[in-house]
Amino acid sequence: MSDPKDFVAVLDSDARRTPRRIAFITKRTSPQVRVKDEDRVMTYPEVFFRAAVAIEVLAIALVVISLRWNAPLEELANPMHTPNPAKAPWYFLGLQELLHYFPPVVAGVLIPGLVVMALIIIPYFNINVEAEGLWLRNRSRRLRIFGLVVVVFCIFLAVFDVWVALAPTIIVAAFMLLAARTDPQTAQGFQQWLVRKPLSFWIMTWFLVELFVLTAIGTFFRGPGWSWVLPWRA
Amino acid sequence: MANTLDQLVEQVRENRIWRSIFRSGTGASNLHRALFVQQNVFLHLFSVKARKRTVGFSATWYLGALTFGTFLILVITGILLMLYYHPSVPQAYADMKDLQFVVSSGVFLRNLHRWSAHAMVFLVFAHMFKVFYRGAYRPPREFNWVIGVVLLLVTLLLSYTGYLLPWDQLAYWAVTVGSNIASAVPVMGSKIRFLMLGGTAVNANALLRFYVLHCVILPFTATLLVAIHFWRIRKDGGIYAGEPATKGKSE
Amino acid sequence: MKNQLKAVWQFFFGDSARAFGSVSLILLVLLAISPAKNHFSQWRHYQKQYLHLIRGRADAVTLERHFQGGIQQIWIPEQQVTDRCTTCHLGLKEASLADVSAVAFRKHPVVPHSLTEFGCTTCHRGQGAATTVEEAHNSTEQWEQPLLPAKYIEAGCGQCHLEKPTATPFLNQGRDLISSNGCTHCHTIKRGDGTYILPDDDPPSLKHIADKTTREWIYAWIKDPQAYAGTATMPNYHLRDDDARDISAFVISQSTALQPPIQPGQTDTKPAEDPAAGTSLYGQSFCASCHAMQNAAGILVGGNVGPELTGIGTKAKPEWLQDWVANPNHYDPGTMMPHYRFDATQVATLAGFLESKTEPDLVANVHLDPATSPQIEHGKKLVVENGCASCHEINGIKKPENFAPELSRIGSKPLSQLLFVEGVEHTLPGYVAAKVRSPRAFGPSLKMPQFNLTPLQIDAITTALLAQTDRSQTQPPAMRIASVQQTKYEPAGHAGQLMGDLRCLTCHVINGHGGDMAPDLTWEGTAVQREWLTQFLKNPETLRPALIRRMPKFNLTDAEITTLADYMMTVYQTPQFDRDSLPVSEFSPAVVEQGRQLFYSKFACQSCHIADYAKDKGYIGPALAGTGKRFYAAWIYHWLQDPQSLRPGTIEPNQHMTDDEARSLTAFLMSLNATGSKEATKK
Repeated sequence: MSDPKDFVAVLDSDARRTPRRIAFITKRTSPQVRVKDEDRVMTYPEVFFRAAVAIEVLAIALVVISLRWNAPLEELANPMHTPNPAKAPWYFLGLQELLHYFPPVVAGVLIPGLVVMALIIIPYFNINVEAEGLWLRNRSRRLRIFGLVVVVFCIFLAVFDVWVALAPTIIVAAFMLLAARTDPQTAQGFQQWLVRKPLSFWIMTWFLVELFVLTAIGTFFRGPGWSWVLPWRA
Repeated sequence: MANTLDQLVEQVRENRIWRSIFRSGTGASNLHRALFVQQNVFLHLFSVKARKRTVGFSATWYLGALTFGTFLILVITGILLMLYYHPSVPQAYADMKDLQFVVSSGVFLRNLHRWSAHAMVFLVFAHMFKVFYRGAYRPPREFNWVIGVVLLLVTLLLSYTGYLLPWDQLAYWAVTVGSNIASAVPVMGSKIRFLMLGGTAVNANALLRFYVLHCVILPFTATLLVAIHFWRIRKDGGIYAGEPATKGKSE
Repeated sequence: MKNQLKAVWQFFFGDSARAFGSVSLILLVLLAISPAKNHFSQWRHYQKQYLHLIRGRADAVTLERHFQGGIQQIWIPEQQVTDRCTTCHLGLKEASLADVSAVAFRKHPVVPHSLTEFGCTTCHRGQGAATTVEEAHNSTEQWEQPLLPAKYIEAGCGQCHLEKPTATPFLNQGRDLISSNGCTHCHTIKRGDGTYILPDDDPPSLKHIADKTTREWIYAWIKDPQAYAGTATMPNYHLRDDDARDISAFVISQSTALQPPIQPGQTDTKPAEDPAAGTSLYGQSFCASCHAMQNAAGILVGGNVGPELTGIGTKAKPEWLQDWVANPNHYDPGTMMPHYRFDATQVATLAGFLESKTEPDLVANVHLDPATSPQIEHGKKLVVENGCASCHEINGIKKPENFAPELSRIGSKPLSQLLFVEGVEHTLPGYVAAKVRSPRAFGPSLKMPQFNLTPLQIDAITTALLAQTDRSQTQPPAMRIASVQQTKYEPAGHAGQLMGDLRCLTCHVINGHGGDMAPDLTWEGTAVQREWLTQFLKNPETLRPALIRRMPKFNLTDAEITTLADYMMTVYQTPQFDRDSLPVSEFSPAVVEQGRQLFYSKFACQSCHIADYAKDKGYIGPALAGTGKRFYAAWIYHWLQDPQSLRPGTIEPNQHMTDDEARSLTAFLMSLNATGSKEATKK
């Protein structure tokens, strides 16, 4: 600041899209720059207008849906007449499907409780943060451990007759096995992508598939007495 | 034509009254744009600039923004619906009929609220999975992820409490099924259910309780958490852009 | 072209600010659609049509003054009625619109209830709050109770009216049919006031059935009751041959001998020689008042109180017939049939006559081997499964409770709780009618048997059942018109026993208890002279020429007649007035003449009554030619002033006579002293 010639302080300069960062370095520090400056855009207008347009497009879609389809409304609530089946809102139908197999304390309390707990602790585990590919190290040992876990879990599901949850588990396990048998050095395309996936990816993907399958079954494929129905036969 | 329109806009924005409200003034310079954000009580949660990589569609699919959009729609339609709704039995159901048959655009309001609510639940889930697969929960964003999980639960509760309000068969039995799950909690199950319903069965008390939760407690909680959620995006270094494309070299 | 398009795209969506503006515009336009839709709503269309209609009519000015635009509603919170029907149905109250061809705008037919006090859906059902045709009238997901079809409209009345209003014959018939077909033996039907619809078909006890009939007849009967008698109440269970065999075996095996036992045929008493004596005794005893029988031409003649007798000789064993005719109380102490005091010859004659009435074809081909115990055991199982004991007393089987579903609220049953089958209209009335028409169509394993009903009877029963709604059960008591309840009155003492033996209450009402076939006798002691009563009991004459049903001759002894007359003259007196308060001696001939004028001209009583057998042809009311010998003047005098206060429900109109008119007319009637009936006078 002592020498005004070093800086030209200008208002309203658009000369550079990205501000130049200045680091004041004393002799004792040995700086190492890890991140290069990258392009930035102004929040207003770029980000705000994009977000606003996105929200408006969604609003347009919802308005059109609302003009076309009426929200469901049935008869006045009557505690004497239980509809069959009595269904919870769609996002709970995965849980309701599980209620069909497990006692309420498991399906209604334990499982959702564990899911929430698991979601919360995700970022606090270094293994998740580092996100190293599951099969890149200690492959055969890990294969034994996870193979055992998957088999035990599948037997558990089979004992309770939870075939609807077993099928997605097996599918995800099959992809895991595929990844485990891929050589990271030579693999191409999808397999190479798959082999770099960390443990958290596998668990979350399994959860997503289960969530999707169970919710879809509960919503579309369950009829009176929670029996199987085909939605197009209703 | 376009020029005169621009001039008109400019005149309005240079107006003393306008300037007393929006201090940033005219001009398309970065300074003006930065001031526009900084000097707005709602927008100053955001940083003035954003990394270009995070702005495009592929980075976030705008799922967070869309979720917030549904929340806005829900607040607006919800407040309008409150003008016609009595949380009492069986008037609540009669109000649904009035909305449907008598209130001008009543059906539309209710439809929009209902469908937006479903959309919001869906988008919250989608947002969560997208964030996870991008790895955006990594430090320093851990706590914002936790807030997100709490917001997911708040959203589910909002939708669930709203489900009862029409007081039709669908509402009644969906909530009955849900509340029976609550009673499966060991030891205090029935107590939790009693607390939740304000009684031992789904009745007028439960309706009132769900109404207060749906219209006051949960929306305020959600608003607060959303504000923190947004604010922390900025404090944690903007929207997560993933690993930089090129590893930095020593200069 | 491509560049142009590109330029247009650039103009609207070129940068994010432009895109924001364009998309905002689209959103705003879309948001305007919903309010616009409101402007084109269905009810506005109907209001326009209505205005168009009334403007073309003569009284357009008046009609237009009555017209109110916008959504109309009848709001009665205490009845939970919010009816917006009048938004489209605008002419309901306009007397001049009775002839309009468009039903929607026609005047509502005259009903005793005001539209604004009762609303529309109270009677018609449907969704009152709705303002679209589909939602208001039909059954939708949101509202399952559609508009009541016109043919069942009386079900609306039956929700509040538990009595039998004269304006709802269909509903009344339905309720009577439910009782007379014994539906409520199995189904409980509770009325809004907490009382129940009770069966009155009086199914016979089977405790001593083997004394009465044969196993072969039982077999044929339960296979198809209507084959034996077309009028039989017993429904058809569509039993398989071996099932019918086993049930008949079980029923016979459970039958015990009557105590004291029925005497074997008294061979020493011969029936009367005359071959027509049986027919004539059957006629003289007025058996046909209660029992029907096919005459030679195959036409059914007679009443429906007792069972049809066309094939009685095939059904009943001869010794049982004799025992029954001699004294029905012996076999069935609860029977409605009076104890005629026939002498031995008459018993033999009548029993012989009935024995000759056979339908041999019925059992001709029935050959049953002696029952084995597995068959009997199987029969017992079938009897329990089919709920036979719901109606019949059977030794060793308890009457099942709640054998069939309760029907107290069947009229509000949600469609989602009903299982429809192919060919049944997907509405509640359609379901109920189909179920009544052919219950087994809903599944061969269902227990409800096939009743023998005409289409009109099915609709009547459906009407009565549809009246059993939630509203009928839950509405405030002030809304209800109570049913006339039968009292438990029984006459007391020695005379009471005698009246019980003669089953007077099968036909007559006394103190609110009894049948509706013959006059109310509650105040008979104030009405008639003892002399006349004694004569009448000894030899009942026809008082009402138009009636087939007549008081039978019971062959009472003088002592019995004295007991009855004493009792009736003493006990059945009204507290309203003294029967001796108006002596006949007070009437002068001038007054009598004045009365005659009133009888024939002012009140034209001869349209219904006969004062002079030679001249008058009134057949509706009782003949009055012998009034002077029959009635007390005081009774006539009070009767003329207010008939309903003396006999509630009588069809005699209240002419609102002055005191003088009633007195003169009484004087005239008391001057009529003809003896006997019309036939007697002719002779």
